[in-house]
Amino acid sequence: MMLGLALTTLRHRRAGFVGAFVALFCAAALVCGCGTLLVTGLTGAVRPERYAAAPIVVTGDPEVHVLVDKGKGKTKEKAKPNAGRAWVPADLAERIAALPSVERVATEVTFPALLPGGADSGSWGHGWESAPLAGLTLAAGRAPAAPDEVVVDAGTAARAHLSPGSGTAVRTPSGTLPVRVVGVTAQGFDSQSAVFFGTDRARQLAGHQGLVSAVGVFPAAPSAAADVRALLAGASAGPAAVVRTGEDRGRVEFPDAANAQVRLVSMGAVLGGTALLVALLIVVGTFGLSIQQRQREIAVLRAVAATGRQVRKMIGGEALLVGLAAGALGAVAGLPLGGWLHGRFVALGVIPANLPAVLSPFPALVAAAATLLAGWAAARISARRTAAVKPVEALGEAELKPPQLGAARIAFGVLAAAGAVVLTALLTVLHADQSSTPVCFLAVLLWCTAFALLGPVLARVGTAVLGLPMRASRVGGHLAFHNLRAGAHRLASVVTPLTLLIAMACAILFSQTTTDRAAAAQRERGNAADFVVGPRVPASAAEAVAAVPGVRTVTRVLHTQVRDGLTRRSVQGVSPERLTDTLDLGVTAGDLGRLAEGTAAAADGLGYRLGQHVRLTLADGTAAEVTVVALYSRGLGFGDLTLAHGLVAAHVDVPLDDELLVRGVDLSRPALAAALHGSPGSGCSTTLRRRLRRTGPARRSATSCWG
Amino acid sequence: MSDAITLDAVSKVYGKGRGAVAALREVTVRLPGGGFTAVMGPSGSGKSTFLHCAAGLDRPTAGTVRLGGTDLSGLSETKLTELRRERAGFVFQSFNLISSLTVEQNVTLPLRLAGRRADAGKLAALIRRVGLQERTGHRPGQLSGGQQQRVAVARALVSEPDVVFADEPTGALDTMTAREVLTLLRQTVDELGQTIVMVTHDPVAASYADEVLFLADGRVADTMSGPTAAKVADRMIRLGAWNR
Ligand SMILES: Nc1ncnc2c1ncn2[C@@H]1O[C@H](COP(=O)(O)OP(=O)(O)OP(=O)(O)O)[C@@H](O)[C@H]1O
Ligand SMILES: [Mg+2]
Repeated sequence: MMLGLALTTLRHRRAGFVGAFVALFCAAALVCGCGTLLVTGLTGAVRPERYAAAPIVVTGDPEVHVLVDKGKGKTKEKAKPNAGRAWVPADLAERIAALPSVERVATEVTFPALLPGGADSGSWGHGWESAPLAGLTLAAGRAPAAPDEVVVDAGTAARAHLSPGSGTAVRTPSGTLPVRVVGVTAQGFDSQSAVFFGTDRARQLAGHQGLVSAVGVFPAAPSAAADVRALLAGASAGPAAVVRTGEDRGRVEFPDAANAQVRLVSMGAVLGGTALLVALLIVVGTFGLSIQQRQREIAVLRAVAATGRQVRKMIGGEALLVGLAAGALGAVAGLPLGGWLHGRFVALGVIPANLPAVLSPFPALVAAAATLLAGWAAARISARRTAAVKPVEALGEAELKPPQLGAARIAFGVLAAAGAVVLTALLTVLHADQSSTPVCFLAVLLWCTAFALLGPVLARVGTAVLGLPMRASRVGGHLAFHNLRAGAHRLASVVTPLTLLIAMACAILFSQTTTDRAAAAQRERGNAADFVVGPRVPASAAEAVAAVPGVRTVTRVLHTQVRDGLTRRSVQGVSPERLTDTLDLGVTAGDLGRLAEGTAAAADGLGYRLGQHVRLTLADGTAAEVTVVALYSRGLGFGDLTLAHGLVAAHVDVPLDDELLVRGVDLSRPALAAALHGSPGSGCSTTLRRRLRRTGPARRSATSCWG
Repeated sequence: MSDAITLDAVSKVYGKGRGAVAALREVTVRLPGGGFTAVMGPSGSGKSTFLHCAAGLDRPTAGTVRLGGTDLSGLSETKLTELRRERAGFVFQSFNLISSLTVEQNVTLPLRLAGRRADAGKLAALIRRVGLQERTGHRPGQLSGGQQQRVAVARALVSEPDVVFADEPTGALDTMTAREVLTLLRQTVDELGQTIVMVTHDPVAASYADEVLFLADGRVADTMSGPTAAKVADRMIRLGAWNR
C-alpha cells in the first residue's frame, strides 16, 4: 500500500527525484565499473605470451614466504610477490627432460634489450632456443648464429621497420650492441618486444651464470606436471622452483602483473566505495530536500491517519523504487564503463594489456544491490526526523523551521573538527610516505565528518559572511540573503555531499601527485651532481664517463624494490665511492661512507636503527643480510633503503642504471657527450642534463645522446 | 444521544519555565453526538489547541479527553493514529490534500492507510454529495479552493468517523464558496447525523452550527445555542475580540 503511494508520488514529483536518481545511477555505474576492475584484479589472469605454447613452465619461486605468528601457538604462511624474476639452475632442465612423462624441454633466459626508438620497457632479449615456448616459427630469414645476429618477433619488426638484412642497435646491460637482423618470426606479441640472440650469446648477455629464467616443459603424458612437481619436491635444498600450468603461466612471465592486480583491487575498492558513500550523502540530501518541501503533506498524512512507520515506509518505498530503477540501469551501464576504465588504465600503463577485463555478472548484481540499499538507507535517515515530528507542529501556519541541530551532533562535529586539525598538524611534520598516507586519508575523512555534522551551522555562517555584500543591494539582495539564511539547512544538504565528493577526489588524485612533487623536490635538493645521465644506462657508459678528464665521481643509481619480511621497500642501489660528492641524502645518523655490499642506509621513520641487521629478499628472491650504517631524512625522494649498487644490480630484471650522477671540475658538456657517443654503451633515449648546483633547479637543457 | 467528546479539566501548556504559555486552562466540555458545534474566540484564545486536544492530534498537559468513549490519555502514538483513523475526520484551513493523488485517491486515503477497501457504492454517493462526480480523476492542483475543501470534507467523511474536526475550513475561501462548504457540512449533520466540531473566526460560519462555544484566554467564556450571525458577532464584541 505505501509502495503504491510512493509510486504515485514519484510519478507526480519526478523533478524532485532526478537528483537522487542521477546520483544513484552514477553510483551504480561506478560501483559496477570498479567492481569489474576489482574482479579483474582478484580473479583475472595474465595471458601468457612467450610461454603460451609450453603447457608447463618451471621458474624460480616468484614469492617471498614468511611464517606469521597468529597467536595461541598458531602460525600461518603468508606469501607476497617479489619485484622481479627468480631464476633456476640450468641443469634442472636436463633432469626434467629425463622424466619419462616429459617429451622435451626448452629453456629461456631474459634480459632487457632496448631498440632505438622503441619502448623503454617491455623489450626483452632471449636465446633462440626459447622460441618453442611461444611456438615461434620463422616467417623470413634464418636462426641467429653469429654473436651479432638476431631474430625479432613480427610485431617488433613491424614497429621498428626491421627485416632480414637490416642493421640496428640493441641496448643490453653489457652495452649498446650493433646487430644484424637475420630473421623475423611469423608471430608477434601484444605487450612486449622480443629480440632473440643465439643461445650462447644470449646466456652471456643475460648474466646469471648457470641459471635460466624459465624451463618450458612439453609433456608426453598427462602426469608430467605431477612428475615435475615430485622431482622438484625431491630436489635437495637449492633455489626453490615452482611449476605453473594454464593461466598461472602468465603470472611468472609478467612478475609485475601481481602488482597491477593489487593496484586494481585497491583502486576498484577505493573508487567504488567512495562513489557509494558520496551517492549515499547526495541521496540523503536530495531526499531531505524533497521531504522538507513535502513536510506539510506529510503532516496531513500523519494527521489523517498514517502512523510514523507508514510515513517512513512510504519514503523508504520511494527510495527503493528510485534505487531499483537507477541501480538496475546504472549496473548495466557499469559493465561497459568497467571495460572503458580498464582500457584507460591499460593506456596509462597502470596495468598490462594482456590482463583482460573479467566481465562477470557479480559486480552488476552487487552494484544494483548496493545502490538499492544505499538509497533506501539514505531515505530512512532523512525520513527519520520528519516522521517523528508531531502532526500539529507541522500543521502550524507559521513557516516551517528546520529543527535545531542537536547538541550531541554539534559536540561530535566539534570533536571531529578538532581531531582533523590535530591530524593535519601532524601531517605537516610527518615526512615519511608510509606513515603519512593513512593519516592523510583519516584526516580527510575526519574533515568531511566534521563538515557533514556541522554543515548547517557552517552554511549559516557562510551565508552571513557572503550576505554582507549582498545586503548592499537593498531589495533583491536582502530577500536573497534572508531566503538563503532560512534555507541554511537546505544549503547544507547539498553542500555536505559535495564537500565529501571533492575532498575524496582531491585526496585520491592529489595525494599521489603531491607525494611525487615532494619526492622530486627532495631529489633535486639532495642532488649535488654537475651532470645527470639517464635513464637506462649500461655499465660501459658509466666507465666511459668516468674516463673523461676532470670527472671525479660517477655515481650509478639503480632503483628496485626488496622485501623486508613481507614489507615492500623501495631501494636505490648506488655505487658507494665518494657518494657524498653527488648525493646528499640528509644523513641524520651514522656514516654513509661505510656503505658497502654488506651494509645499508635507511630512511628515517621506518623503524630501522643503526647497527641493526636486516634480512632482505632481493627482487629475484635472493636473500641478503645487511647492517644499517646510516639513517637519512630524504627517504621520500631517494627510497626507503640505500644499498650498494653491486649488491642489487645482479638481482634485478633490468640491470641498467636509472641515472649516472657526474661530478668533477671544469666539466664540459661536449666532452661528456663525446664520451657517451664514443662509447657503444650509451644511446637510445638516454640524455645528458646539466645541473647548476646551488643556484636553483636543473637547467632544462637536455641533449639526446643518440638516436 | 451520548456524548461524542468529553474534555475533563483539560489544560495545555506550551513550553517550560518563564516562557511557558497556557493555551488551555482546565477546560471541561461535553459535546453531544450528532451535533454541529462551532468554537469561536479571539486569536490566540486556544481554539486550535482545543481542537487538537479533542481530536487526539496533541496531548493535553493535564486532564482527560474521551473520544467516542475512549480515554486518549493512555494511548501510544501509533494507537492514537489508529484511533484517529477510525473515529475522526479532519478538514484544515488549507494544504489538506496530497498533491500527487487524484481526488478519488485523496478521498479514500484514510481507508487505504487503514488497509481497508472503499465500498464502491458508498464512495460514489459520498462524491456525489460533495458534488465532485465529474472530477474524480483530477489532481488537487486542477481544482479551485472550494472544490479542494469539498474533497477534504469527503475525505473526512469517508471512514464514517464519530466526529469531524474542522479548523477554519472556510478561512481561505471567499464568501460564496465558504457558504457552499458550510452548507455541505450542515447537510452532513442533518442528513447523516454526523457530529462536527468546527473552529472559526467568522460569525456567519458559526451561525451554521447548533451550538457555539466561546473561548477566551484558554477558558470557555460562554456558550450559545441556536446562533445567528448577529448574535455571535455581538457576543464576540463583548468578549473583546474585535475592539482592540
Ligand atoms: N506549538 C506551540 N508552542 C508554543 N506556543 C503555542 C504553540 N501553539 C500554540 N501556542 C500558543 O498557545 C496559544 C493558543 O494558540 P492556538 O493556536 O490554540 O490559538 P487559536 O485560538 O487557534 O488562534 P488563531 O485564531 O490565531 O488560530 C497562543 O498563545 C499560541 O501562541
Ligand atoms: Mg488556530
